[in-house]
Amino acid sequence: MDLSITSLAQIIIACLMVIGLMVANAVVMVYFERKTAGFIQRRPGPYEVGPRGTIQAICDSMKLLGKQLFIPGNVDWLLYFLAPVLAFFPVLLLFLPIPFGKFLTAMSVDEGILLILAFSGLGVISNILAGWSSNNKYGLLGAARAVSQSIAYEIPMIMSLLAVIFLSGSLNLSQIVEEQGSWPWQWNICVQPLAFFIYLVSLVGETNRAPFDLPEAESELTAGFHTEYSGMGFALFFLSEYANMLLVSFVCVTFFLGGWKGPFLDGFWWTFIKAYLIMMFIVWLRWTFPRVRFDQLLNINWKWLLPLSILNLWITAIVVKLL
Amino acid sequence: MDQAIEQILTLIWSPLRALDAFLAEHLPGQETAAIAAYAFYVLVILAGGLMAIGSRNLVRAMLGLILTFFGVAGMYLLLGSPFLAFMQLLIYVGAVCVLIFFAVMLTKNTNEGEEFKLPSPASAVYGLLAFILPLAVLVPLILVNAPNLKQEAIEPTDTSYLGEGLITENVVGFELISIILLVAMAGAVFLAWRRQPDKGKNQSGQNDPAKTKELRS
Repeated sequence: MDLSITSLAQIIIACLMVIGLMVANAVVMVYFERKTAGFIQRRPGPYEVGPRGTIQAICDSMKLLGKQLFIPGNVDWLLYFLAPVLAFFPVLLLFLPIPFGKFLTAMSVDEGILLILAFSGLGVISNILAGWSSNNKYGLLGAARAVSQSIAYEIPMIMSLLAVIFLSGSLNLSQIVEEQGSWPWQWNICVQPLAFFIYLVSLVGETNRAPFDLPEAESELTAGFHTEYSGMGFALFFLSEYANMLLVSFVCVTFFLGGWKGPFLDGFWWTFIKAYLIMMFIVWLRWTFPRVRFDQLLNINWKWLLPLSILNLWITAIVVKLL
Repeated sequence: MDQAIEQILTLIWSPLRALDAFLAEHLPGQETAAIAAYAFYVLVILAGGLMAIGSRNLVRAMLGLILTFFGVAGMYLLLGSPFLAFMQLLIYVGAVCVLIFFAVMLTKNTNEGEEFKLPSPASAVYGLLAFILPLAVLVPLILVNAPNLKQEAIEPTDTSYLGEGLITENVVGFELISIILLVAMAGAVFLAWRRQPDKGKNQSGQNDPAKTKELRS
């Protein structure tokens, strides 16, 4: 890692672009998600503000920006304000090693995937801090659930990524994309279908999305760990949740779906098309399946995903050794 | 087409690269930067440690611990081992701290820090002992070895080299560590397992679906 103004400028520009991507992503996804929910539940969804309700999400975010930051009584103010900041800023760092295109990598780190896994741990810590510091029983219960869930789902996630790393022999995301071809049958999903499935399930668990959204289950916990947050505090949690969804989609595309390579013409458009297809899949899941119970959630992970991922890793290791 | 893009990119970055080359000549070299980074990480570690010791509140103390872990990870980066730095964050911040939090979360949040007590004389003596013992080992070692140290530029360690060392030369130590972890895990499972029959007896099987079925039939 060389210390120079060029690399510093590259990282700053990349961070600014990632912030833009995060905000645009959240606005578009909120509108898309509400419209999809409406379509699935046979109701119109937002339709009043703008043509077909298109600027509804922008109005909502303006409202959030203008709201008062309310501090409930008896909170630990340092941790209370630190939690949303800690949820938002590490996500910027997580986007740096992702190869969006052949030349569109902010920082090509040799241990790229490790960097992503290491700093995504801060997201969990921000959830716990938010739940604990807001001095609210719903917040605390949500935080407790967030901890056990994210620790559980991190393991099969890493194991399934490890199987792909065994094949490519590198932790560098750009190199993992280079190993794959342009056509779908040359992607890692054809070699590692089980790992892809495990990653897809634990991706939903890791980002706290329905049907695994136990940390913020509305019907039981009001809003889980961010119950006491208003205005920008809530908005930061919201932004980082959608950014995390986007990030795991990008990692999935990089590892299993050939990254920026695609039929006919390679380029960054393939990364975005494939990542947003996965996002659509996550949204579709949310409005199709009911929320699981908490013991079911942990049983799925410890009794199915973990043994399956160990088996997959084992077979991959043997095959790699033999070939 | 790829080459054209590459040329355009180098053209865009060329003014900044020229500035870099200019600064590299006129500014103090890498060594000063390394010393500044070292001083920064030492400050981060010390601040985290002080926060961990001095807070009246368990969760804030935990935050200090996390800060210290970040400082140590920075030290690893400075030593040219990004792999160890990221593993430090992944394991200590992502797993160990989260698990400790899990226990701390069951304490009361009153902001007065009820769990904070001044140490008794006996524990103060033990604490002093725990402080002096590592010092007694480390200080002589440093004093003996300091004159022989050489200044060398540190090259980043290749991760594949690290992995090869773990499974060839140091394979015995590596396997022993995994056995220790296995024993710890088995012990934890055993401790959690043993209480279950008692629990069933105390609550007269109300939460046990199998027993409720028996009662009903």
